[in-house]
Amino acid sequence: MTPEEFNIELYWSLIDIVNGLLTGSVIGGYYAMISIGLAMTFGVMRLVNLAHGDFIIVGAYLAVVMLNFLPVSPFFTLIIVVPLMFCLGYVLQRVLINHVSVQAMERKGLSTNYGLMAPILVTFGLGIFISHLLLGIFESDARQLKNSLAFSAIRISEDLNISLLRFIFFVIGVIILIALHLYLNRTHAGRAIRAASDDAEISPLMGINTAHVYGLALGISMAIAGAAGVMIGMIRTFQPFDGPQFLLIAFGAVIIGGLGSIVGSLVGGILLGITQVLAGTYFGPSAQLVGGYMLILFVLAFKPQGLFSR
Amino acid sequence: MSISVSKRGFFAEPGRGGKRPLLTISELSAYYGQLRALYDIEFQVMPGEVLAVIGANGAGKSTLLKSIVGMMNRGKTAHITGTIDMRGRRLERLNTEKIVDAGVTMVPEGRRLFPRLTVEENLMTGAYLARCRGKAPEKLEEIYDMFPRLGERRAQIVNQMSGGEQQMVAIGRALMSDPQVVLFDELSLGLAPSIVDDIYVKVGQINQAGVTCIVIEQDMKRALAVSNHVLVLLEGAVVLEGDPRELDVDQVTSAYFGSDIGRASA
Repeated sequence: MTPEEFNIELYWSLIDIVNGLLTGSVIGGYYAMISIGLAMTFGVMRLVNLAHGDFIIVGAYLAVVMLNFLPVSPFFTLIIVVPLMFCLGYVLQRVLINHVSVQAMERKGLSTNYGLMAPILVTFGLGIFISHLLLGIFESDARQLKNSLAFSAIRISEDLNISLLRFIFFVIGVIILIALHLYLNRTHAGRAIRAASDDAEISPLMGINTAHVYGLALGISMAIAGAAGVMIGMIRTFQPFDGPQFLLIAFGAVIIGGLGSIVGSLVGGILLGITQVLAGTYFGPSAQLVGGYMLILFVLAFKPQGLFSR
Repeated sequence: MSISVSKRGFFAEPGRGGKRPLLTISELSAYYGQLRALYDIEFQVMPGEVLAVIGANGAGKSTLLKSIVGMMNRGKTAHITGTIDMRGRRLERLNTEKIVDAGVTMVPEGRRLFPRLTVEENLMTGAYLARCRGKAPEKLEEIYDMFPRLGERRAQIVNQMSGGEQQMVAIGRALMSDPQVVLFDELSLGLAPSIVDDIYVKVGQINQAGVTCIVIEQDMKRALAVSNHVLVLLEGAVVLEGDPRELDVDQVTSAYFGSDIGRASA
């Protein structure tokens, strides 16, 4: 190898690494959007929401419906989809999930031996119901939310580009995260959500209506899932049964970041994204998923509570 | 079956000094599932008084306080019968958050702070109710004046603090909801005697500021010293009630342990 060839080799391997870090981080922001909602419901209600991925897909299909009536940029659908998903989440929590919580089972004099199992099974059933409902309404054709930015890229240097859309989603993801952090720490409702998550039995003594607060929590979780769904629909195609793959990504980011930690889900998402892109670069595209799961296994083996869990 | 020995005190002079009672509890019974824990409890609480509830373990003291703040309204697991009247407003069917909004709150046994929140955040949760939010900043300053140590540590996570400091946070958090009545469940549990002294000085100040207090206290002498109305529970029933200045210690002791004098009228 001549020195010149060596330099070119070195240049490309550096580009590979920088590209992996950049693209991985940007994908990580998008993974974080997918997982914040899951982290939130788990952190507040100890609810493992198996329908989370399906809620994301619902967000994408709501945008499809809206774009049928109003041919605008998919970004504008967020104005409707996000509040609508919030309301759906609030109602769902109050009319369905609150009724199978440990406290509700206790009130009815039913066995609480199943602990967290009842809500998990309810969300599992809900996920199946949602995906079949979507299949019934929209059929199984792959859809995409058409937009003018799909093929735009931000050019950093001659050999380094990142997808503009993914970058925008990264930025939106970080903004949502900061907003959620401020909401949970600086507002009465946010503190009430955290208080109820720490001690649901005592928080009513502060005047906190836990059923309402849990409704807010699932509402926020679903609003963010809806936003993530619209964004996913702009990047790639989706079908009614795509929910579980997003659920898996979300679980990955949440496990790495720490159960219930919202900042953890961003860091977890970024680490997962970087690992996947680098594994893909060095070991071929089929190594992407394996690389991601290896990271999850490593974290579970050495820090099972996650990197950011308190 | 009435097993109270004395109707001296408040029933003997209804509406003491012409005042209307703040809380009137009538025929209050409490159940855990099928198990009955309180038997037809009746008493009145005058505005501004300190009521001490004493009794042995399992006598129903905590159950009584939980009943007043709606924490026994738990469907098939636990429920109450009877009435709890606060100046014409019936509390017995309300949820805890509505009762707190009506002006009754509790400092729970074991403090039960929100462990992952800071001192200030714990205090602020107490001001969650719509009627308290506007006044929260002033209230917070009042509490820091009362407990300067909390002001110094406002950003600390509470589970890193000592038991006494945690008890101060629990009391402060209850006061943030601007209550008329505060129930204190086992204030001194697990605290050093000198700290308990300090805490009771604060309870005195809270009472001086016009807040009616109901206190559960294991230490009978302390209970008699801090209160101006005493209720002795035995096996879920009131066996003695009165003004601690008029009751003698032997009488209270025998009621507490359920010896013959305590059951004289049974």
